[in-house]
Amino acid sequence: MEIFSNLLLGFQVALTPFNLLMCLVGVLLGTLIGVLPGVGPVATIAMLLPITFNLNPIGALIMLAGIYYGAQYGGSTTAILVNLPGESSSVVTCLDGYQMARQGRAGPALATAALGSFFAGCVATLVVAMFAPPLAEVALKFGPAEYFSLMVLGLVAAVVLAHGSLLKAIAMVILGLLLGLVGTDVNSGVLRFAFNISELADGIGFVTVAMGMFGLAEIITNLEHTETREVFTSKVKHLWPTKEDWKRLWGPVLRGTFLGSALGILPGGGALLASFGAYTLEKKVSKYSHEFGKGAIEGVAAPESANNAGAQTSFIPLLTLGIPSNAVMALMIGAMMIQGIAPGPQVMTERKELFWGMIASMWVGNLMLVVLNLPLIGMWIKLLTVPYRILYPSILVFMAIGVYSLSNNPFDVFLMSIFGLLGYVCVKLECEPAPMILGFILGPLMEENLRRAMLLSRGDPMTFIQKPISAGFIIASVILLVIIALPALRKKREEVFVEE
Amino acid sequence: MKIKGPKEFWAGLMFIAFGLFFLIGSQINYQMGTAVRMGPGYFPSVLGGILAVLGVLVLVDAFVEDGPKVPKFNFRPLVMILIACLAFAYTLKPLGLIGAIAALVFIGAFGGHEFKFKEVTILTVVLVIFSVLVFVKGLTLPFPIWPAFME
Amino acid sequence: MMRRALAALALFSAAAAACAQAWPTKPIRLIAPYAAGGPIDISARLIAPKLQEALGQPVIVENRPGAGGNIGADLVAKSAPDGYTLVIGAIATHAINPWLFSGLPYDPIKDFRHVALIVQVPNVLVVNNELPARSVGELIALAKAQPGKLDFASGSTGSTGHLAGEMFKLMTGTYMVHIPYKGAAPAVADLMAGRVHLIFDNLASALPNVKAGKVRAIAVTTRQRSAFLPELPTLDESGLRGFDMTTWWGVMAPGKTPQAVVERLHAEVFRALESPDVRQRLRAMGSEVPAVRTPEAFTAFVASELKTYGDLVKRSGAKPD
Repeated sequence: MEIFSNLLLGFQVALTPFNLLMCLVGVLLGTLIGVLPGVGPVATIAMLLPITFNLNPIGALIMLAGIYYGAQYGGSTTAILVNLPGESSSVVTCLDGYQMARQGRAGPALATAALGSFFAGCVATLVVAMFAPPLAEVALKFGPAEYFSLMVLGLVAAVVLAHGSLLKAIAMVILGLLLGLVGTDVNSGVLRFAFNISELADGIGFVTVAMGMFGLAEIITNLEHTETREVFTSKVKHLWPTKEDWKRLWGPVLRGTFLGSALGILPGGGALLASFGAYTLEKKVSKYSHEFGKGAIEGVAAPESANNAGAQTSFIPLLTLGIPSNAVMALMIGAMMIQGIAPGPQVMTERKELFWGMIASMWVGNLMLVVLNLPLIGMWIKLLTVPYRILYPSILVFMAIGVYSLSNNPFDVFLMSIFGLLGYVCVKLECEPAPMILGFILGPLMEENLRRAMLLSRGDPMTFIQKPISAGFIIASVILLVIIALPALRKKREEVFVEE
Repeated sequence: MKIKGPKEFWAGLMFIAFGLFFLIGSQINYQMGTAVRMGPGYFPSVLGGILAVLGVLVLVDAFVEDGPKVPKFNFRPLVMILIACLAFAYTLKPLGLIGAIAALVFIGAFGGHEFKFKEVTILTVVLVIFSVLVFVKGLTLPFPIWPAFME
Repeated sequence: MMRRALAALALFSAAAAACAQAWPTKPIRLIAPYAAGGPIDISARLIAPKLQEALGQPVIVENRPGAGGNIGADLVAKSAPDGYTLVIGAIATHAINPWLFSGLPYDPIKDFRHVALIVQVPNVLVVNNELPARSVGELIALAKAQPGKLDFASGSTGSTGHLAGEMFKLMTGTYMVHIPYKGAAPAVADLMAGRVHLIFDNLASALPNVKAGKVRAIAVTTRQRSAFLPELPTLDESGLRGFDMTTWWGVMAPGKTPQAVVERLHAEVFRALESPDVRQRLRAMGSEVPAVRTPEAFTAFVASELKTYGDLVKRSGAKPD
């Protein structure tokens, strides 16, 4: 079995003391920046690149990869504890994770996130090891038409994220799509809705919107309630998931891992959809769907597993084709090139020790992360007992520094404040931000792919149906739409009958 | 006509406003193009239109269905927190991390329920030390630490 | 009168020289007008430690991304001309954007001292493996046989890849459809999968897939052949006389920076470029040591590039607004 000899080679590389150290440094640093809102892996890896020039290539890449998936672990911590999604993947973790924290169940939420991520990471690493080349071929089958149809499915699914009015949720998705269009139009290069503000030329940053709509709005709303001074219940029930929790956990973790591994392969934004998709799926299949948005443990388990699985499998297009699936992967390409390694198909054959060493290190890194994170839970929970009047200015400082550092420009902080205001108004009007954020992320991708597909097909919309993968997504979207709309319609009809 | 659902009413108006803004804005400024070569105005026009229509539907709902009142706006935390963020952003270059964090924490603290000068001062010092160590020394963000006039 | 003026002039230049000798007395900011981790940022971070060592003051790389690099470039154009704020100016900020964006807030020639060109990367014309064309001549014939059937991809509207394609169309009188992407990576993916037919990609990013046989390179866009693919013909020798395009960037300072400071900086930047480790890393990015060797030559180079792209942007209709 070649795979075993390859994995053996990988572990020999990954387990050398130096590479172990690099891996540890990477995951520690990743966890730290993941926990700090706003400062993301992209900025950190970029700043560390020059330091890696003098390391050996394998050690350097192992460390950088560690920062990437370490940040995914750390990011969920902040999402759960203080409702701050630092990464697009942790937006959905906020929905139920933060509610669990407010109910004194931060411990189980964090443990679920860590264990779910670990399981997903292990499985996804195995997937990368066994199927990387054939899966890369699958990724290449996705062109503009397929991506557009996938985005449509994602948007329909976004509506499920809301637990209130369906109509308002759809409107919020559209609003998100529109806000995502601000900036330079990819196809024509025209600046849209930028009001001659050059800072808006590259569009509105995700972190800025998420910090404003979730973080700032949450702090302002919390400060309003004059009678309840503490935001979190002081009674922390337990640190670990209960027996009941365990029973509810494993299904979502399995499904999340599967969905995340599959979507992570797609370089054009597939991984973005992983956590959203997993959450939607659970909300539809779960017996406890009425608890979603109010602290359902499935709502943490599924998206966390999905996003970590996706983080691992998103290395597939990088390692096999040299195509980066996100900004972090683009940086890894930069790091490889600086080291004199041409990222591309030859890495797997010509630099076996690098390819397999990295895969093995991902597993080692995931193990380190879970060992590291579980004991930390106790400390995080202590943090919630800090009085809110101390906690919120500290959160504000970290948010402001993080957002400012995005492009060293006060404008981003200004924009965050605007979105804080919008988020606050939305809270008052019961318009939920999560569907909007998904629309915001997908909007530009969707338009870009739609227009590109139309250009390539010379204006024939049948292209979306003639291509089998694309057609599959369109059909799935229609089915999902019916599933979502039917209960709502039925409810309306019942109400009408009652009134009569 | 009586407004039965105030939340829906205002939400509807908000969506209509945003929808019309994008619809009219793109009609005036950007080319629509054709379905083959969609211009930069195509997508935002269509979406803006849809949003405005959805806004009208939400608005209609407000007159049909009973809904909860819009909770009162409490302006103190809202204004103070937003000003605190802006103060940080625009004082960072002239006053350094020390001045900017102090500005944020002090103004932000006024948005809370109680303001204890000593506690806020200690918090500022702790946050400054932490931020300098982690962000400036550790992550090497190019932030000035001291105010510009003291360098 | 004349003598007094001369004396004043002498005094003035002495003061300037003294000032330059004292320079630098405080940290220097090197603005990278693009996101961290990109090739421009990486090269800035490569030379910064070398400059720091030579100048005895910290050289801090600061990313100021936005508006195609215009935000960072404008910041430096409007900074005090004291040698403490520098920028990595590039083909986009100093040759293409002035034509692409109306109302650019800076003048790419007058508002800058062009200190040292540091990187020059050729573009390569790469086609999908299934495409029957194996040479530039065959590609032109194919494009002429089926006008409007071929698609060429680029990393963005107004990028060098896009403009190289437009130049190709102009010079050959063919018509191909431009398909813009967000960055070169997805464009290359679609090229490999055969959804688009060709792309003018920068050498470093194209090289691995060319070597692995996933796509086929048929020409290089520079006047001279590239040392990285010496067997690859140039477009110039394939019949497109005068075709010469590179992607470049270099260190620049605000317009009124004293000559002495510019010269000192130029010398130190070149010393950094010639150190073996920097050279090796820049080679890995596909860059050979630039032939432009003085600040004045750099200014002349920028001016000629500015003119070339002005004509090209106008004729190609790439202008967005």
